[in-house]
Amino acid sequence: MARSVKPKSNLGPNFWPVTALLGVLSLVNAWTIVRVPSMTFLPQAGAPATDVDFIFRFLGISGGAIFIYVTGYLVYFGIAFRHRENQPIDTIGVQVHDNPRLELWWTILPTLLVIVLGYFSVDVWWKLQNQQGDVLTVESIGYQFGFQYRYPKIKDPVPTLYLPVGTPVTLHTSVAANGVSHGFWMPEMRIKADMVPGLINTIRFTPTVIGDYRVICTEYCGTGHGAMKGEMHVVSQQEFGKWFAAAQAGKDYTPPLAGAKPGSDGQHPAPGNGNDASGTAVALDSGKTDAGQVLFGQKCSTCHGVGPYEQKIVGPGLGKLFNDAAHPKLVNGKDVSPANIAMLLKNGYQGEAGVMPSAQVNAISNVDIANLTAYLVSLSKKS
Amino acid sequence: MAVAAPHAVLDHIHPEPKSFVAKYIFSIDHKIIGVQYLIVGLLFFIISGLLAELIRVQLLVPSGAIMTPDKYNQVYSVHGSGMVWLVIIPLVTGGFGNFVMPLMIGARDVAFPWLNLASFWMFPPAGMLLFGSFLVGAPDAGWTEYPPISLQGPPGTNLWCIAIFLIGISSTLTGINFLVTILKMRAPGMTFTRMPLFVWAQLATAGLSMVATTALAGALLALFLERVFGVPFYDPARGGSPLLWQHMFWFYSHPAVYIMILPAFGIISEVLPTFSRKPIFGYKMIAFSSIAIALLGFMVWAHHMFTSGMAPWLQLPFMIITMVIAVPTGVKIFGWMATLWGGSIRFTAACLFAIGFICVFTFGGVTGFFLASVPVDLHEHGSYFVVAHIHYVLFGGSVFGIFSGIYYWWPKITGRMMNERWGQWHFWMTFVSFNVTFLPMHWLGLMGMPRRVAVYDPQFQFWNVVASLASFVLAGSTLIFLYNMWWSLRHGRKAGANPWGARTLEWMISSPPPYYNYKKIPAVLATPYDFGNPLPYIGMEHAPGAHATPQPVASHKMPAKRRA
Repeated sequence: MARSVKPKSNLGPNFWPVTALLGVLSLVNAWTIVRVPSMTFLPQAGAPATDVDFIFRFLGISGGAIFIYVTGYLVYFGIAFRHRENQPIDTIGVQVHDNPRLELWWTILPTLLVIVLGYFSVDVWWKLQNQQGDVLTVESIGYQFGFQYRYPKIKDPVPTLYLPVGTPVTLHTSVAANGVSHGFWMPEMRIKADMVPGLINTIRFTPTVIGDYRVICTEYCGTGHGAMKGEMHVVSQQEFGKWFAAAQAGKDYTPPLAGAKPGSDGQHPAPGNGNDASGTAVALDSGKTDAGQVLFGQKCSTCHGVGPYEQKIVGPGLGKLFNDAAHPKLVNGKDVSPANIAMLLKNGYQGEAGVMPSAQVNAISNVDIANLTAYLVSLSKKS
Repeated sequence: MAVAAPHAVLDHIHPEPKSFVAKYIFSIDHKIIGVQYLIVGLLFFIISGLLAELIRVQLLVPSGAIMTPDKYNQVYSVHGSGMVWLVIIPLVTGGFGNFVMPLMIGARDVAFPWLNLASFWMFPPAGMLLFGSFLVGAPDAGWTEYPPISLQGPPGTNLWCIAIFLIGISSTLTGINFLVTILKMRAPGMTFTRMPLFVWAQLATAGLSMVATTALAGALLALFLERVFGVPFYDPARGGSPLLWQHMFWFYSHPAVYIMILPAFGIISEVLPTFSRKPIFGYKMIAFSSIAIALLGFMVWAHHMFTSGMAPWLQLPFMIITMVIAVPTGVKIFGWMATLWGGSIRFTAACLFAIGFICVFTFGGVTGFFLASVPVDLHEHGSYFVVAHIHYVLFGGSVFGIFSGIYYWWPKITGRMMNERWGQWHFWMTFVSFNVTFLPMHWLGLMGMPRRVAVYDPQFQFWNVVASLASFVLAGSTLIFLYNMWWSLRHGRKAGANPWGARTLEWMISSPPPYYNYKKIPAVLATPYDFGNPLPYIGMEHAPGAHATPQPVASHKMPAKRRA
């Protein structure tokens, strides 16, 4: 039964072209990860975010290449070395047992990759440890099911996290008396710490982009865990100063730059035309261009500019929405019309082109949508 | 013959039990016990799988479709606990380990058959306790049951403690049993480097189960004592430490990841040579990498706790060692790929699942590397990214390995062939729907969706609906698999001793194997994987058809395009 098989001297038909093709695919993967803005999935709003995303991208590029090569070769070997119908049933493969040189290389190469990735990880870890903090120190207290914050020189804990832009923050996490563990995740900052009873965990970060962000509980804490979210508002230094002074005096002050939940705290103009947060109809006629402009600066300018489509930040520039022949449709494929823009603002979008948050996530009311739409329409008229 | 003398002792055969109970219920035959593990494990797989479908139905709408958060928390906790402790670990060690390993090393049974019986009979009660806990309020703090929240959990949490404690004891005893069996009961001439790779994998796994599971048992005992008698181990308000549980739990549960995956590695290392008609490439590297993974696996547990609160400098060694595990794992993956290279590959269902395993497991390994990096983990810990990762390595890894193993050894276990065409359907449906179910979960995590939530923000709905719909297809593909087994038992073609033309010892005897396995214990002359050479076994009676040439299986003639 011992059959002599003619040993194959080459690596197989088309081995090198396939290898080259997989290389090209890996490069496409790398290019996509580096160049497509939505590959970060969330905007970056603070100091560790850029570094964390750097490692993430590096891992995506190198890990992606490994996956592409493994899968590509599996498919290729499967096709090239399949048992064919016309071959005898007892056909055997090349009786090769090992190849010490090859095995040495495929041990050395992953080791090198581990060293490089380990180096980058340690480097960013080092940055995290030495992240500037202490300009502002805040204590975050987790309870079932929400977060409170203790600021120095403010008597009582406050329910919302306000942070001045550009200020290094040291945040200590703790748990209310007799509480259970929670997680404190600021996805836009790319950092979290668990809140463990009896322990104080510390994270340092610097918010760099004014806006409204989420704080999310990531450690199971009971029935309400899924709904345990908090608001974090990064505001200008001046607004923070005003808020801080008011809080010290025991007064309520919501900085206008922080988009507090509409309808819940009376900070937004009372809707005069029956619109509220829960309503679905948006009365577009009532939109005010100047209010929209202010709102655009707060809510949209992180990702969008007012230039032409090509001037991308995260998403495209919105200055020529109505008169851009190269881009006649909205991102969701609908025609450009005030109503469709309003719907896009309301529902958000998610797809190949990236993610546009919904009104709920952006914390904008129907009145805000009307104002923003009016502003966007006005932009196109100017240009 | 040089080995004549030991045979005089080894040839004594105990009589087969006569009564039904001694033969099939309280059997001490490793093969029957293996089949018992497989049957009960698959039953628990169906139950835990149905719980998974409940999870996916719930997450069809952001506010939760069918359950209160309380119920939902119980469902995913029992789903996770069940899949880990009652499905994957018992199937890959108790099931395949019991049935296949003694046959592979030319033994008549395991070293301690009565211990084996005891191990098995802790398994069904553990399952009944865990699933029965729904009657009194099931555990609801996830499969990790972190205190202090688990101290306040429903009464069923106590049953959970007992159930996992039982299955832990069972696992430890099986580990001892297998370790002694492999070290002491190999056929003459089967040196370590002539052992099939599945045996190497079981050896590494046995060592892991034996050492690691004791830590879990201690942690569970303490949790039980605290919940029932108020002994303050974990409650910080009374001087306990929540981190104590985390350390003890992960000191077990990280090695447990390798308890779940190493036997699957072993299955792949048997299936690929057989269906590519080639020796495994780099035998020694694959064998030793199992041991390396098992040893390193003990030194990385705290990478689950980067966010929990540990001295920051301590994060570094755990990160580095975790990353180093990628090297032996990569060596295995490259070895499998090189085994396919130059082969004469037959794409049976077993082979397809083995190849699918490599593809999907590589992806899970890459995302594991993401999570090993401390800065990335500080971002992604506790999010759906982790849920996606764990399912890529445990479903795409372990469960694909289990599917491959069942297709591969089914003819040996039952004496009948499964339907190849349905096997192919099962693979492709599973492969596609698996990826569509779990790939989007990476994106959900990156977009900020935390795990273990009964409700979620509306912007996450689209991908949740995609994952849910695909998971229903995944469940459907499993139905095909179950039907295939049932069909095979009734109508399957007789398999003969060696339908795949494999060369390991278990295929040299009839299917199903006789009570005593080997009438004469064989002597082993070489590694099992040299397809060009005569079989390396002497001094045994080969069953008819045990010669190492594959019989034509349905799949070889199956694709319609060849007839056209």
